[in-house]
Amino acid sequence: MSHSALKQGLLCCTQCHKTLPHSYDGRPCPRCGTKVHQRRPHSITYSWALLISAAFALIPAYMLPIMTLKSLGQGAPSTIIGGVIDLIEYDMLGIAFVVLTASVIIPLIKVVGMVILLLTVQRGVVTNLHQKMLMYRFVEWIGRWSMLDIFVVAILAAIVQLGNLASINGEVGATAFGAAVILTMLSATVFDTRLIWDKHLQQLEESQ
Amino acid sequence: MPPRSETRHAHRFWACPECDYLMHQRAVPDKQEANCPRCGYTLVARHHRSVERTLALAITGLILFFPANLFPILSLQALGLAQQETIFSSVVALYDSRLYAVSALVLMTAIIVPFIKMLLMVYLSASLMFHRRSRGLSWAMRSYQQLDSWGMLEIYLLGVFVSMIKLVDIAEVTPGIGLYSMAALILTTLITSTQLDQHRFWRRIEQLERAR
Repeated sequence: MSHSALKQGLLCCTQCHKTLPHSYDGRPCPRCGTKVHQRRPHSITYSWALLISAAFALIPAYMLPIMTLKSLGQGAPSTIIGGVIDLIEYDMLGIAFVVLTASVIIPLIKVVGMVILLLTVQRGVVTNLHQKMLMYRFVEWIGRWSMLDIFVVAILAAIVQLGNLASINGEVGATAFGAAVILTMLSATVFDTRLIWDKHLQQLEESQ
Repeated sequence: MPPRSETRHAHRFWACPECDYLMHQRAVPDKQEANCPRCGYTLVARHHRSVERTLALAITGLILFFPANLFPILSLQALGLAQQETIFSSVVALYDSRLYAVSALVLMTAIIVPFIKMLLMVYLSASLMFHRRSRGLSWAMRSYQQLDSWGMLEIYLLGVFVSMIKLVDIAEVTPGIGLYSMAALILTTLITSTQLDQHRFWRRIEQLERAR
């Protein structure tokens, strides 16, 4: 007896959740038209590739300025971390914490979380399966909130346009940060969570 | 659990899309949920009058989309100078800063995706409500599901608050009608996605397309 659909020759369309016989593997789902797979092919490879690209994109994202405030001809470029430090200096601790969470803590948690997931699944670690599932859902849900800093730059650049007096423009760091956010989101999306449970099920089967 | 010979009776079973747990299908009463016993994934969430409610909400969202985009979100006054901001003007500001990719990203996540999601939902729920075999129903539902996490208006709203606080010492910033419309639009979008009974939608789409 097995509790896995795969072992029973069934598979589930990940788009519309229809249960199908395994003969549909690699063919379009009769209900929604998405190509169905028993397990998403090369899921771990794609996930790693996107994750590593995201990690590299984070380096220029934190090093380069994301915007410049030009006031009376003088330019003051600011990085993501610099923006947080400014907020702390102006005693706006609450908002400093929100920005720090969204632009530094969440991206790092996402990368570390995905690395742990991918490594443990690749090595066939069968402990803490529920925690891993929870961690995946958390990473997947929280990822989009990192876009906060991009929107802040967009809004400030639109509204602070007072000619020579003061103007804010976006800088190239924003491109790197945006790329990092998108890449980590995609890295979580392409990961097939069913892989977390497969090794465990295989061992259960063997022990019976 | 079924023996291998029963695989053609796939319609009797549910497989959890997140952990592949296999279970017998059962009827889920109105306003109740069925969760995967192993990983806790919500397999089915029944909502009362899901089709009618999503139609009403999606139409509301579609109407709110216009004031949210046409009226200013924020206005700034400093030393006799005034400046207004709409969602689209923030896209333009990034474009003017020569950040073309980021500008396209904001255009997609803050304007195009929220709009298309509402449009798809009006088309889908209206077709299901009036039992119309419209074209591309499964395509519309699939697109809606895939676009879901790429609409980021609620994050944009948080960005508006952060910007207001950053500017509060420097200039006078006042929220506009656009901001209130955007908040209402976000609320509508969120309620639409919670009231959407995806399981029922897919079954109705399947019935309609089979009858073709």
